[in-house]
Amino acid sequence: MSAIDSDPILTTPMLELSDTVDEVEENAEVVFDIDGLSVSYGDKLALRDVSMKVRKNQVTAFIGPSGCGKSTLIRCLNRMNDGIATLDGTILYHGQDMYEQGIDVTDVRRRIGMVFQRPNPFPKSIYDNVAYGPRVQGMKGDMKERVERTLKHVALWDEVHDRLKASATGLSGGQQQRLCIARAIAVGPEVVLLDEPCSALDPISTAAIEDLITNLKKDYTIVIVTHNMQQAARIADNTAFFSVETGSDGRRSGVLVEFDRTSKMFTKPSDPRTEGYVTGRFG
Amino acid sequence: MMRQEFQSGLDELERQLQDMSDKCARALHDALAALQSHDGASADDVIAFDDEVDHLFISIERGIEELLATQAPVAGDLRLALAILHINLHLERIADQCVNIAKLTKLSEPEGFRPQLVDAFVEMGSRAEQMLRVAMDSFANRDAERAETLTDLDELIDEENKALSRKVIASGSSVEAQEAGLRAMLISRCIERIGDNAVDIGEQTVFLVTGEFREFTDASHPS
Repeated sequence: MSAIDSDPILTTPMLELSDTVDEVEENAEVVFDIDGLSVSYGDKLALRDVSMKVRKNQVTAFIGPSGCGKSTLIRCLNRMNDGIATLDGTILYHGQDMYEQGIDVTDVRRRIGMVFQRPNPFPKSIYDNVAYGPRVQGMKGDMKERVERTLKHVALWDEVHDRLKASATGLSGGQQQRLCIARAIAVGPEVVLLDEPCSALDPISTAAIEDLITNLKKDYTIVIVTHNMQQAARIADNTAFFSVETGSDGRRSGVLVEFDRTSKMFTKPSDPRTEGYVTGRFG
Repeated sequence: MMRQEFQSGLDELERQLQDMSDKCARALHDALAALQSHDGASADDVIAFDDEVDHLFISIERGIEELLATQAPVAGDLRLALAILHINLHLERIADQCVNIAKLTKLSEPEGFRPQLVDAFVEMGSRAEQMLRVAMDSFANRDAERAETLTDLDELIDEENKALSRKVIASGSSVEAQEAGLRAMLISRCIERIGDNAVDIGEQTVFLVTGEFREFTDASHPS
């Protein structure tokens, strides 16, 4: 063989790429293990046979069209649907059935906080809004320090530290929503559930909340319902896509279509229904 | 079907990409013809034609940039937008190689290349034209399997490139022969690179279809 036969310049492409990045390994601790969950409001089946796992210190987003059951599911995660909906299947929280008899619902809601679509601060001072939960829970320790630490945690301290006694209702919408998140985390939950937290906010306030969510996941497990798919793409580690479908029994209900890493859901979803929804070609 | 305006914008960019490919095929064809006929004026035409290719390249690039900025495509749409962006660049490189061939043709004036070498160039060039056609047809038809056949075609060009190198070495040791040999090697290398670019386009088709990018042949880790 001559030098020409083996000359790499003559035989190989010039551009070379390193190996593709490996998939992130899915080994974080499971916080919620949802198995075969169906939820009904009276005769109306809202959600059918959902099974999925929500993992610790990750942001999990629920997306899907109106009526797909995503808000129903997030409300089941801290028993906000008690007395309204009936459930079939199980939701384990750290291996414990959340709906077992004898479970202390107040304790569930302390561990699993919730923030709603519209900012709903109490008509009290900024300070009292944050201190309210810890006081009700009978938490001991330096309340001032707790309030300051919590407001710093939600990146609101610098904006309000000189007017803590002012009414919370005087804050802007974005500030009010961050205050509501502060109120939720002041009692030291493990999980924060966010039901469309930015839908009433302008883009700047939305960006502030998204930054906050990304920072909070270091300390909390976050579940967020959002109508804004790009928001899910920006902040969520995992995304669940729900849709409305007619079952073999002829009843229409929400179903979980696909649940995967967000990067996969928005680049190469496995299910054509997900592809149709995220690319805006559903219907 | 929703997002019709977005879809028509994406369709138009893909149509422009096929147009870009047609221009590259024409540039390659004309460059080889100028080489074969030893015609400096035709070589000048190939060089001038590259402005048209560059203009279309920029138009496609701007179209993709605008689409990414305003439409935030995801999933299959995102893969298509990225594939168009990459393929556009590969095509532009192919056109640049045609300019290089034309410039080397002019440099070889007045005597030109020996007929034996010209025949080898034309043989390699027609192979490269075929590869470009296979690459772009596979892309248009989303045919990953056919795209993978490009590696077989590329091996043929690589072999011809090596055979041509032997001919150059055997062509003599005079200064004139060495200069002509060097230019012949460069032309051969240009055509061989066009084959590589066609393979790169094939890799984009596989990415578009499967969502996974991989090189057909791993130059840094040959098997």
